[in-house]
Amino acid sequence: MQFRHVLTALVLGLVLPTAARAEDTIKIGFPIPLSGPTAVYGQPILKGAELAVADINAKGGVLGRKLELLPRDSKANPAEAVRLARELIVKNGVEFLGGTLTSAEAPAVSTIAKENNIVFVAPSAKTSSLTDPAHIHPYIFRAASNTTIEGQSGAIVMSKFKDVKTVATIAPDYAYGHDAVAAFIAKLKELRPDITIVDQQWPQLGEANFSSFITAQMSKHPDAVFCDEFAGDFVSFVKQATPLGYFKAIDNRLVDGGEVGSVDITRTLGSAFPVGIWANTYDPVIWDGPNQPKEDITFDEKVEKAIGTKYGSSWAIQGYVTIAAIAQGIAKAGTTDSAKVAAALAGMTYQTPLGPRSFNATNHDADAGEFWGVMVMDPKYPYAVIKDPTYYNPAPPAGG
Amino acid sequence: MTVSLIAGQVLSGLTTAMFLFLIASGLSLVFGVMRVLNFAHGSFYMIGAYLAWQVVSWLQPMGADFWIAALAAGAGVAVLGAIVERLLLRHLYGLEELYQLLLTYALVLILGDVAKYTWGTEQLSVHRPPILDGGVPVLGTTLPLYNLFIMLVGPAIAIGGGLLLSRSSAGRMLRAAAQDREMLGALGANVGALYTFMFIISSFLAGLAGALITPIESVVPGMDVQIIVQAFIVVVIGGLGSFWGTFWGAVIYGLTLSFGILAFPEFSLFSVFLLMAVVLIVRPWGLFGRPIR
Repeated sequence: MQFRHVLTALVLGLVLPTAARAEDTIKIGFPIPLSGPTAVYGQPILKGAELAVADINAKGGVLGRKLELLPRDSKANPAEAVRLARELIVKNGVEFLGGTLTSAEAPAVSTIAKENNIVFVAPSAKTSSLTDPAHIHPYIFRAASNTTIEGQSGAIVMSKFKDVKTVATIAPDYAYGHDAVAAFIAKLKELRPDITIVDQQWPQLGEANFSSFITAQMSKHPDAVFCDEFAGDFVSFVKQATPLGYFKAIDNRLVDGGEVGSVDITRTLGSAFPVGIWANTYDPVIWDGPNQPKEDITFDEKVEKAIGTKYGSSWAIQGYVTIAAIAQGIAKAGTTDSAKVAAALAGMTYQTPLGPRSFNATNHDADAGEFWGVMVMDPKYPYAVIKDPTYYNPAPPAGG
Repeated sequence: MTVSLIAGQVLSGLTTAMFLFLIASGLSLVFGVMRVLNFAHGSFYMIGAYLAWQVVSWLQPMGADFWIAALAAGAGVAVLGAIVERLLLRHLYGLEELYQLLLTYALVLILGDVAKYTWGTEQLSVHRPPILDGGVPVLGTTLPLYNLFIMLVGPAIAIGGGLLLSRSSAGRMLRAAAQDREMLGALGANVGALYTFMFIISSFLAGLAGALITPIESVVPGMDVQIIVQAFIVVVIGGLGSFWGTFWGAVIYGLTLSFGILAFPEFSLFSVFLLMAVVLIVRPWGLFGRPIR
């Protein structure tokens, strides 16, 4: 082949894709755990994100362009999430980032977002360090609730138990657990200065055997417990604590901030669920009470169909909300330019199936509370449900 | 420091110890005696747990029998172990352990994905068999009946395994093979069949352990990796080549962890790693092992 031909081919190869880019989709990178113990939440969040992309594209996309989701398996490993984020930006040319699940991955990917000036919306990481003054930058946004809201909500619930004088805590030993318990204790001191904290247990994240933590805590005879165990850890914890008489000893006065009221958990535990405890969730799905928004009913039905399990998942909503927020931010800015979208998102109110939410103008946290209630066995439903789910949002956004 | 507090921590420590011994026992056979570095032992345990859940859900309409499920899980994993040993591992005996580590680590990844495609990523739960529901009061604390059951199964396996190794001809040959495989083969023993047989027993124990853990813990992806390091620690502390060493290693591990939680609530794992470090410094061949080579 003559050199001229090679040169022409090369030039055309470089020019044509650039010319075609204007018709391209808006690519959103989405690294999230799709394997390992945290995939139990990663998978439904991704499903929710896919539903959002489908909904938005069905209406013609944003600014005339369709959305394209690029999911990757982060394995809940921050280093892997960072590597994937870089690859998505450099190799795949994503214009936005969503995803990560844990409070370890999100701050790591946030630094990549900052480096590359790419808007990154995190659907589930609750650690306050994601958006605190030391780490905040224009491009990070949190669609999840946060440990401050969670801990304070837990304290508000706990403060209602009038005859409780001593409280213990048990939470996973990493940023999320520590932050949530700290926020809980601070708010509880404010609401009920008469309560003392008599014990704190810190099992590892992913702990399988809680026996010794449980017996150690029971020996301190607390009146009530603030628990932040979640997912598989909560399931193991319950299976071990129940026969030890843990829940009976505290008369089921356990307040859990780890979304164990989610249908994903109640379905797993079935009749073994410790009814009488207080729990929360982003989306009750099985709404045993009044005031379920119509959009949520429709949304939950779509999730159930997409996932293929009865009642779907309480977590899909967070994936949906992440994509919806990005799309509404692009629409408001009128462009996909990151800096302008970031500016549009700050302080913006966005619509979700559970009602409007907004990103705080200063720290970019969503004013996302969760639905709390006491867990009961209602004969209408096959698993434990939250009775009269009530939206708790004790920390409304400061400023903006 | 009340009696009930101490009793509670001792019992929970023994519970932890016996659950750990259930899985470490199979590893002790394979790694301790046969010197085969089977990193996939945790995966066998996980497959056993999933199989138990599966059999329980199949038997659900006729009244789920947990015991059938547990034995079926053990048998299923034993078959899996036989296949792995025959087709894959036997080509690597006598080579550096690194090859065994790489192969079995690859198995960990493969089996992990197989489990994920078959059973999904949701955490699964199996109910306690009804006759072992409830607990007995002991010295001011409660001992769940299921935990008591495991505390009896553990020593039973230890005694059975110990007898197998010390009294049976297969056990004698196995211990000989661990010292000098080639010589044993030259003496006419069927070393290949022996190793397969022992691997099958080890896999059965792993599968059974996985099944027996399901009433106590959730069945989740990642439980294979979570358990394997602890199992190796227990085998190493107890001493390679000593079945009873693994048993006592597990007991010491469980009690150290249990009282470590009281002493350093925020650094509970630190106490067991400190234990391991101390044992390896003072007796590098483990508490009950013999200095070899």
